[in-house]
Amino acid sequence: MMETTVTPATALAERVAEAVNQAGSCSVLDARQSLGKAALESLEYPTTRNERWKYTRVAKLRDLRPASASSPSNIPPVLADFNAHRLTFVDGQFQGGEVVNESGVFIGPLSKASQLQDDRLKALDQDYFADNEWFAALQAAAPQDGACILIPDGQRTERPILVHHHLTAGDVVAQPQHVMVVGENAHAEVILWTTCDDQATGLMNGALTADVAKHGHLSLEIVQDEQGSSHHIAHQQFRQAESSRLTVRTATARAHWLRNDLHIHQGGQHGHSTFHGCYLPSGNTFVDHHTRIDHAEPDGHSDELYKGLAADTATAVFNGKIMVHKDAQRIEAYQRNANLLLGERSGVYSKPELEIYADDVRCSHGCTIGQFDAEALFYLRSRGMTETKARNLMVQAFLSEVLDGFRPEIQQHVEQVYAERLGWN
Amino acid sequence: MLKIVNLHARIGDTEILKGLTLELGAGKVHAIMGPNGSGKSTLASILAGRDEYEVTEGSITFEGVDLLELDATERAVAGIFLAFQYPVEIPGVSNINFLRTAINSIREQREEGPLSGKDFLAKVKACAQLVELDGKLRDRSVNEGFSGGEKKRNEIFQMAMLEPKLAILDETDSGLDIDALRIVSHGVNTMRDPNRSFLVITHYQRLLDHIVPDHVHVLAGGRIVHSGGKELALELEKKGYDWILDAQAEKA
Repeated sequence: MMETTVTPATALAERVAEAVNQAGSCSVLDARQSLGKAALESLEYPTTRNERWKYTRVAKLRDLRPASASSPSNIPPVLADFNAHRLTFVDGQFQGGEVVNESGVFIGPLSKASQLQDDRLKALDQDYFADNEWFAALQAAAPQDGACILIPDGQRTERPILVHHHLTAGDVVAQPQHVMVVGENAHAEVILWTTCDDQATGLMNGALTADVAKHGHLSLEIVQDEQGSSHHIAHQQFRQAESSRLTVRTATARAHWLRNDLHIHQGGQHGHSTFHGCYLPSGNTFVDHHTRIDHAEPDGHSDELYKGLAADTATAVFNGKIMVHKDAQRIEAYQRNANLLLGERSGVYSKPELEIYADDVRCSHGCTIGQFDAEALFYLRSRGMTETKARNLMVQAFLSEVLDGFRPEIQQHVEQVYAERLGWN
Repeated sequence: MLKIVNLHARIGDTEILKGLTLELGAGKVHAIMGPNGSGKSTLASILAGRDEYEVTEGSITFEGVDLLELDATERAVAGIFLAFQYPVEIPGVSNINFLRTAINSIREQREEGPLSGKDFLAKVKACAQLVELDGKLRDRSVNEGFSGGEKKRNEIFQMAMLEPKLAILDETDSGLDIDALRIVSHGVNTMRDPNRSFLVITHYQRLLDHIVPDHVHVLAGGRIVHSGGKELALELEKKGYDWILDAQAEKA
């Protein structure tokens, strides 16, 4: 017997797959795609009854009718004077940039890398999210082009690689797949920058998979500076081998509705992970950071710090899970989430989750939600600062712990966007 | 320079100032003493523009301008400085960045150009020397982890940087050991100038051994009840406030 009822979620998946196929998909591994397709059949569409989606409403998204992409115009320049190795993508299609393919180094679009049958693309074989998260499955079932960065053993990127993805106007769907494989003793510096047209109303549902080999180092700065009123869900997964180092800094500069799902797996001893983030939703916008780190092997270190402010009627969500596996001894895992409420009707939901199955570990977590210190504001004003300058300085000060970690060009940009958005310039 | 006439103020339903009148001339140091709860710190807060207090009656004029029409920022721009009784810690803002922002914000509002980096640093150096504030404290976050004495020295350092016309010192001597008291007083005395007035609010006479006032006023029950020369401070130290309060009661 044929199944005749089509759920709204299945219908959405079909519409997205069709739109992606029309615009151009980028299939790398059939296995992953099949995994996504199978998962879509069994997984329920997320609702607020699901703990992981309790504060993250996606009901409206279900009615999305993807439109075909408009011709790319007005792609905003990113760090115009900054010397970087640039790759640009629009709506999940490679737009242009500097492609390198020599002596084992590949920097370019995944669509091109997949033609080379490079073994390192097997990194995509495993997927942390695709069989258990509906939107991740949706992306895996119909992936599009994204950046592919393969750095062989012992090599390092000469210039930072700046990957820019832009979403165009209208109900466009983009499902880019980014892959980064950093070899043993190799080092890559990457900036992943997303923008959206100010008339964008679609869905950006992208994935990033990164493997860092023994003694390798991946430093990733993510800047989300998105106009318009699109939805953005990001699935980011990182796997670390022994003695590798990972730094992921995420600055959500501007977003209408955004969810970052970040997962780090320390699969070797002496892994070192730093993941920091900052956010400042205002108006009626929404930002959600869900993170999880698995310390599967002993002697790992992790440092997690997320700081943000919620203004007006905006909502911010933070959920950070630290999982220390059995026998993963001598782990040091630190997590902190600090928030300030700027609006009387703004909201922050913060939830730390620690699961520890080893007995010799050092873990700590702290989460705070507070308000602007009125006394400090008065102190600054009594020294001659205008209210605007005083508030700006306090926001800057609050976020400096996170923003100081970015390169100065990015820090400056994000601070400026925040000041502009709060109307404090 | 500063003229306060019949000032009444309250916080919530509690009336704190009840008809305070006081006049300060340019270049003078006025001390205000008084028992706990007499309204000393309230007066300082109102002069600096803290908006928790509601002025219900009376006026404050500063150089002919109605001070009550100005907000905290505008008062600083007009040349009023309050050294806080409890300086605020602001993590993440370096002392230097804080001062640079403050000075340039004031200059901008006075329609002057920003101070050059070189001039600013030269000034920082000179003013820090004045209160023996070492380099580490200049670069650290504002007041964060400072000792009580360091915080008060930092207040005087800021005062020297901002060169106000009227400086209000709100119990600057509280929590100071004898060395810090000497340093702070030296800073203030160096700043004395025919065009600058000081309003020194204190509980104890000992600060006035170092910063010798031109006038001493007793604030009690929300009003100035007695005024005199510097010798009044000594008398208060010896005899307490009761004799003044009793005399007041008799008059009434």
